[in-house]
Amino acid sequence: MSAAHETQHHTTTGIDNRKMLMWIFLASECLFFGALISTYLIFQGESVVGPTPHEILNIPVTSASSFVLLMSSVTMVLAVYGAQHGRLGMMKLMLLATILLGIGFLGFQAYEFTEFVHEGLGLTTNQFGSSFFVLTGFHGTHVAVGVLYLLSLLVASNRRTGLGADRALHIDLAGLYWHFVDVVWIVIFTIIYLIPH
Amino acid sequence: MSHEAHAPAHTDAHGAPAAHDEHPPTSIREYGLIGLGLMAITAVELWVSYSGLAYGTLVAILIVLSAFKFWVVVWMFMHLRFEHGLLTKLFSFGLILGTAMILATTALFWHDATDSVGGIPEAAPGAAAPAKH
Repeated sequence: MSAAHETQHHTTTGIDNRKMLMWIFLASECLFFGALISTYLIFQGESVVGPTPHEILNIPVTSASSFVLLMSSVTMVLAVYGAQHGRLGMMKLMLLATILLGIGFLGFQAYEFTEFVHEGLGLTTNQFGSSFFVLTGFHGTHVAVGVLYLLSLLVASNRRTGLGADRALHIDLAGLYWHFVDVVWIVIFTIIYLIPH
Repeated sequence: MSHEAHAPAHTDAHGAPAAHDEHPPTSIREYGLIGLGLMAITAVELWVSYSGLAYGTLVAILIVLSAFKFWVVVWMFMHLRFEHGLLTKLFSFGLILGTAMILATTALFWHDATDSVGGIPEAAPGAAAPAKH
């Protein structure tokens, strides 16, 4: 057994409680985003005033941000790999790369939101605007929380004591959260941007 | 995929997979290839989106491709493939409920009765939005 799991206590399932809690949380998040996606699908064609999705969505810019988030999933899984194999330099470098890519995604989203507001689409403009901003805004909030989560791990890993014996588990749990945020975006990107309205 | 990746997971004294005694056998190169594959699929999705295919075909292709990307990330990057089966069941439960909710509510509102009975009049160009009750 590796040092990373020495402090893991016995459970009847053999699964660490923290990992099971994270998976239950992610399962509940499926329902949370499912509700927001449902709302978007119901409201997207019901707006009686513009701007409408086909008038305002900037697919090339959002495609670039999608590539950035996909890249961040690769760097995140490499950070987990580094933590599990005791390659701390690789772990820290990949954590930093993931954080920067996450900030890049948020930058794209801030740019998109600003452009939409300048073009007359706000949270209360029409039903499309309300459901779009709530759905993508909550996703962006999740990305921002993920960036803070990863930043806290990066700072902790640079302390003299590091992340402790549970290092691999801590990074693994953060990775689960980050990858989930990525898969949610895969769905949102397809439904909002790729499928023509 | 490496030979190790196909090896059966070790089991504990109760016969359940011992999820934490080994790391996923995926190598850095394999992770990189999976990432490149995901980006290639995204590029294909973009091409399909602009291809001018029939609406039904286009939607079906996009849904299949994005579902495949979803599965790859969960299975390989989140390591669900190498985890205890209970975690797969837990996540699948939430995922199936969420998907069912999307399908049910979309089907429920697919034909809005107020559109056919004239509940919401069509707005004339430049007219203010009608008040909703």
